[in-house]
Amino acid sequence: MTEDGLYFRFNELKQATDVKKKYGDEVLVVAGGTIATQLITRFGLRPKVILSLENLPLNYVKFSKTGIEIGATTTISKLLTFDNLPNALVQAAQGVHGLTLKEMATVGGNIFSPSPGGDLATALLALNADLVLARSGGKRVVSLSKFYKNFLTYNMRKDEILYAIKISRVPKLSAFMKLTPYTYSGPTICSAAVGMDLTDKKITRIAIGVGGLTPHPYRAAAAEKILKDKPISDQIIENATAKVTEGIQIREEGFYSVEYKSKVAQALVKKILYRLAGFN
Amino acid sequence: MVKVKFKLDGVFVEVEAMPYQTLFHLLKDSLGVQSVHFGCGQGACGACTVLLNGKPRYSCLTLAGYVDGKEVVTLAGLAQNGELNPIQRAFIENNAAQCGYCTPGIILTAKALLDKSSRPSDEEIFDALAGNLCRCTGYVSIVRAIKSLVR
Repeated sequence: MTEDGLYFRFNELKQATDVKKKYGDEVLVVAGGTIATQLITRFGLRPKVILSLENLPLNYVKFSKTGIEIGATTTISKLLTFDNLPNALVQAAQGVHGLTLKEMATVGGNIFSPSPGGDLATALLALNADLVLARSGGKRVVSLSKFYKNFLTYNMRKDEILYAIKISRVPKLSAFMKLTPYTYSGPTICSAAVGMDLTDKKITRIAIGVGGLTPHPYRAAAAEKILKDKPISDQIIENATAKVTEGIQIREEGFYSVEYKSKVAQALVKKILYRLAGFN
Repeated sequence: MVKVKFKLDGVFVEVEAMPYQTLFHLLKDSLGVQSVHFGCGQGACGACTVLLNGKPRYSCLTLAGYVDGKEVVTLAGLAQNGELNPIQRAFIENNAAQCGYCTPGIILTAKALLDKSSRPSDEEIFDALAGNLCRCTGYVSIVRAIKSLVR
């Protein structure tokens, strides 16, 4: 264990949550390092305490009758070694930029990663995932759909650490797609994921996650409302995709206008819905 | 300050670092490593790639404290007893470098890929190298060099 000055690295969760309790917002939590390190190197953050989670036993995926639990420090590479994960999650993981980033980046870190990262969070939104947050003396569960407040601002207390991600009821159908400037993965211009159950061609369950348009991904609630409990058809997909960005303040950045991003989001959701429905 | 002990290209080193210092700056500024290059600083270009316990890692996104107790291999550490690694030789034989700035990172990523999968497909090679940018070669000779080791 390295513990020297302001850099902590522990083997037990309790030690980590105790540090978080003691130092609160003065702690920068680092898992894979791909986002947290940039807060230091590019944005000039000088945290009083750096808390590395690398030695905590959170690099796991567990399957049970009640669903799937993914430890927060599970790397993307490790995630991709498991069978039976929902398609949306696998496709989002495969799209992470290159071998090196796949080896470094963690599922938990991806939850905190703002656009143009955070593809796994987009997929996990569509899978209705919950976050298990640990603190000294307890844990609580927060729905991922209620986790994001604003850019790098989360529904999280200052003494908490993301412990695990849970998918309680895995949808029967799910898929993820994204648009990037490169052929082989890359930063996200826009991403979308859908989790859906179809019973006798009726949509009995639907969740749509959209990434790249806002600081963190969001659930396309207006589109979901149109689809829920309706028979799937060309027309209802058209109606729903038109609502994918309704009420959303899209961030304009670089070469991509608000209008362009909105159209891409609609096109991706439409494409996924068509594929999941088995339409040509 | 954080005391960091690790194995660098086969040699044990012990250095002091600021908690927010990156491995890149530790290697470059404190240990004089020449083959680790700075590019984007955000995990997109791969010029600063090293192998950490055999896995590729962007040194610009790795805090110095993270490498304590681990093994770091840079391009210089690939050669053994004056003999180039087969990947290094393949890059020379296939003219897979022009300006050479990206080459150390690409060779180390290629090594990690070949350690993981002895017969990667073209798709897997392109996907693995997506995080290593080269602005000279157009990747054709790089992929050819890697594929020459697969056959």
